Amino acid sequence: MSGAPAPAGGGQARVRLGPALARVVPALARVVPGRVPIGLVLAWAVVGLVLLWAAVPGAFTAYDPIAGVPADKLRPPGAEHLFGTDAVGRDVFARVVHGSVHSLSGALVAVGVGLLLGTLLGLLAGAAGGVADAAVMRVVDVLLSVPGLLLALTVIILLGPGTVNVAIAVGVGSVAAFARLARAEVVRVRRTDYVEAAFGSGGRYPAVLWRHVLPNSLGPVIALAALQFGAAILAISTLGFLGYGAEPPTPEWGLLIAEGRNYLATSWWLTTLPGAVVVAVVLAAGRISRSIGRERA
Amino acid sequence: MTRYLLSRAGQAALVLWAAFTASYVLLQLLPGDSILIKFQNPELGLSPQQIAEIRAYYAGGSPVADYVQTLLGFLTGSLGYSIDTGAPVVERLAEALPETARLASAAFLLAVLIAVVIAFAASYSTTSWLRGALLSVPSLFVSVPAFWLGILLIQVFSFRLGLVPVIGGSELQQLVLPVLTLAVPISAPIAQVLARAIDQVYAQPFVPVIAARGATRWWILWRHVARNAVLPTLTVAGLTFGELIAGSVVTETVFGRAGIGRLTEQAVNAQDTPVMLAVVVLAAAVFVLVNLVVDVLFPILDPRLKGAAA
Amino acid sequence: MSPSRPLRTVVTLTLVGLLGACGGGGAAGPAPGDGKPVLGGTLTYLEHQPPTCLYLPAAGFYPNGGILNQITDKLTWQNPQTLEIEPWIATKWEINEDATEYTFHLRDGVTFSDGSPLDADAVAANFDVYGLGDEKLKLPVAEFVNNYERSEVIDPLTVRFHFDRPSPGFLQGTSVIGAGLVSKKTISLPYEQQCQLKNIIGSGPFTLKKQILDKEVDLVARKDYDWAPPSSQHQGRAYLDEIKIIVTPEDNVRVGALTSGQADMVRYVQAYDEQTVKDAGFRIHAEPTRGVNNGLYLRPGNSLLKDPDVRTALRLGTNAREIVDTLFTESYPVATSVLSHLAQGYVDLSKELAHDPARADALLDAAGWTRGADGIRAKDGRRLELGVFVSGPQPLSKQTLELVAQQWTKIGVKLEIRPADAGTQAVDIKDAEKTAVQHSMVGRADQDVIKSHFHSENRDVILSDDEKLDRLLEEESAEPDTAARNAKVAEIQRYVIEQGYAIPLFEEPQVYGAAPHVHGVAFEAVARPWFYSVWKSQP
Repeated sequence: MSGAPAPAGGGQARVRLGPALARVVPALARVVPGRVPIGLVLAWAVVGLVLLWAAVPGAFTAYDPIAGVPADKLRPPGAEHLFGTDAVGRDVFARVVHGSVHSLSGALVAVGVGLLLGTLLGLLAGAAGGVADAAVMRVVDVLLSVPGLLLALTVIILLGPGTVNVAIAVGVGSVAAFARLARAEVVRVRRTDYVEAAFGSGGRYPAVLWRHVLPNSLGPVIALAALQFGAAILAISTLGFLGYGAEPPTPEWGLLIAEGRNYLATSWWLTTLPGAVVVAVVLAAGRISRSIGRERA
Repeated sequence: MTRYLLSRAGQAALVLWAAFTASYVLLQLLPGDSILIKFQNPELGLSPQQIAEIRAYYAGGSPVADYVQTLLGFLTGSLGYSIDTGAPVVERLAEALPETARLASAAFLLAVLIAVVIAFAASYSTTSWLRGALLSVPSLFVSVPAFWLGILLIQVFSFRLGLVPVIGGSELQQLVLPVLTLAVPISAPIAQVLARAIDQVYAQPFVPVIAARGATRWWILWRHVARNAVLPTLTVAGLTFGELIAGSVVTETVFGRAGIGRLTEQAVNAQDTPVMLAVVVLAAAVFVLVNLVVDVLFPILDPRLKGAAA
Repeated sequence: MSPSRPLRTVVTLTLVGLLGACGGGGAAGPAPGDGKPVLGGTLTYLEHQPPTCLYLPAAGFYPNGGILNQITDKLTWQNPQTLEIEPWIATKWEINEDATEYTFHLRDGVTFSDGSPLDADAVAANFDVYGLGDEKLKLPVAEFVNNYERSEVIDPLTVRFHFDRPSPGFLQGTSVIGAGLVSKKTISLPYEQQCQLKNIIGSGPFTLKKQILDKEVDLVARKDYDWAPPSSQHQGRAYLDEIKIIVTPEDNVRVGALTSGQADMVRYVQAYDEQTVKDAGFRIHAEPTRGVNNGLYLRPGNSLLKDPDVRTALRLGTNAREIVDTLFTESYPVATSVLSHLAQGYVDLSKELAHDPARADALLDAAGWTRGADGIRAKDGRRLELGVFVSGPQPLSKQTLELVAQQWTKIGVKLEIRPADAGTQAVDIKDAEKTAVQHSMVGRADQDVIKSHFHSENRDVILSDDEKLDRLLEEESAEPDTAARNAKVAEIQRYVIEQGYAIPLFEEPQVYGAAPHVHGVAFEAVARPWFYSVWKSQP
């Protein structure tokens, strides 16, 4: 969350490349020759699989995630039900697969809110400098000073419950981290020779900002985004635990773990297996984040 | 130095005031209302008319006057009354704070300990797979939902193995599992920063030199890493303090401890705005204070920064 | 009351009791066969939620009642087995013909824990507040007192209450949890202060020792307590020295703490944990609440539910049996009427409540609701979608509603389930358009319970605009003759079902788990624990 340290600085500037791809593609390309980093491959495999779940859930499970067979309640995992069934006889694996679209989009919205608002604030502060910089950064300090969870809870009450609102609430909590990082990057890039040169050769301010400063500041921001993606999934599940989750019967992951916990003594699979999926996805997001961060260094 | 201190203190006060004002405005905007939540309880059998009367009783004057009055109250240490329980907010905070302070400080110390062990063990391990495994432990730590970890710890250590009671037992016994639950996620960023600092020390040109002179690995680690790693660790530690408060919401709910976290959770449920406002300002104050201390310690620990007032 | 009623009550209680209500059978004293009671010891009792406002009329909330039942006494004792009203602080009483005058003769020598006497003056002060409220102190009227006019202190041990209309429910009203007697000092405090436990001075067998807000309440036995209900085998002070009531919100922690020996007794054992508790050799006490059943209450004010046929179709499309079989245990009997079969005035309507999806479909078809592409019915461009809030106090409310939603999908109705959050819920639940259906129940061992639930000036779960229903309920509440009153209650149950206002699901119990070394556990008529006669055979 806010404690996530920014990847160490340094690294040469590349000009005019697709911002995100410029960082990600080499990270992938490096995989092919030389030693294969198994962890990273696995991480991408996990993310890929989960994305497929979200895109074509029907290809992975034939069960209905909403309507169960009450008579088949609380069956342990087995050949018929990979992850067992829940208290009203729904297939837990089907709920996890169908839930991925809710959880992933929730996390995406959360990261999107943090990324957009935070980067915008950081960009403005870093580019403008002076009083504007100081003012924006004090606002960021205020955001940073309130624990993310408290902020999220307040925002949820303000907006009302619901999957999207929960995601926005989580996203607001990460605005400060993105803003700080983006500002630091912008300040660093701005001082580089070629940006100075771009200004010197008569480049207009917004144009230079857009074409040179932004793409070159994005690397670490993308790395943070990947990290926050995992954190957002966790934060959404924590809110589910506190009773501010998605509307039932939405099979959102956080809610699955949060509600399965009550059955821990009798039906361990209800919380453990969705929990394992979440841990795997969050771990994968973290691994990918580090590979992007390292690529820069 | 004095000017640097004063300027930092001034900024801290400004941030605190802004946090107060922002949360005050935000809480005024909340759609529900605590009076309705509390008095709509059917056991009470109040008519809508009676509820309206109660609301009129609680309502203040103009928004600006209310704001000024609340702000003055906060400055003089009077935080108003909880709508849900009717008790003064100061009283509730005073009851809850020691509980959370014990939990959070113990968890923080344990987190640092875990981080040191992981980072040093990783840098000392010679086989690369062991090193890799140790270095991925922090990632695992931040990938586990805290409430889930707490419940699993209770099930295994208290109910299955019977090692520590969660109900009854001494204060120390009651702290063990919550502290562990809270410390695990907090230790991860500290361990990561520490491990990176150690790597940086090893990359320094002087290390092979002193190693050649016969210094042992341990000696180098202690002598140089400890020094170089303290600053970044301190920064991260300052940042994680807010996480400690947030983490205590979950931990205290799972373990049924009556601290700031539980107070927050209940205040949010009941939309008890005076309590919520006080908790937010308290969290912000602790955060600002801790980071102020870190900022002040920085130049003392790192002579290079003494001149610059960054 | 039909002659077979008491017999049936006993039989059912014994059936429920087989699960382990070993002390619950007797009016108060320990059941025979438990051995000789041991004096002393501390009972660790885990509560699900922290207590809220402890103003006595608000004691119906179980966490509140669990505390207040130990520290206050009532004028009368309702025998949980026979539901007869027996003497307690009042040794005897007279009621005039039309139930407008009640005279109580009080026991001598009873004191509150602050030393002040529990006399006619104190009792009058209590009921003046419960019956009339107090605007200045912001004390609301209690729902168990109807038509109250004034009190009259005849002598220090005799008090008379006057009512402006017949109030046949009042005698039972003096025995309910909310009618606990508090000292004159307590009752003259403003509402905010009566909410706080430390200000509640009662005459009960236990007094407050220590409270850590939201976490723990420690009660200690009153050594000079000597006024238990005369029907209790056990007299004198409580056996236990202390009770530690610890708030433990996590379900799995409560049950785990019980079975691992860290706690002696817990409230709110979820249905799926009952077997775990029994397998560990512990007892389950599933206590009936004898009131309006756990069910879905349909609001005629909602524009989709205006049509009684639609409401009836929803009831026909709901399979209560499947809900109980899937989610619950034998502690949760399937509802056979609006009221629990142990409630006064109950009438068996199981035939009317049968599950019949074919008829439901037919009714909806006839009413012009046609199925759309996704199977949900629509009419004039409006989809048959109804909103409901998950009900926090009801066991497994979310799962229950999810199952109902599955059943309703089959008849082409969509149930939109919203998570319980106090904020929007407090506002939206009073809006029939937003909240078409309410999931709730209410427990009380008196005919008036049905009025509490449905009358437009009480809980009003259906946001009633039905004047006939209100009139029936008022007639019931003012009928002095028991047989006539029970007949009225039966008529109301039939009317509520005919109108399609209610979909009764099951009879909601309060489920407690207790360690084998805990004896003498007793409950009042609506399942709040009474620890007076509890003792532990091992420390």
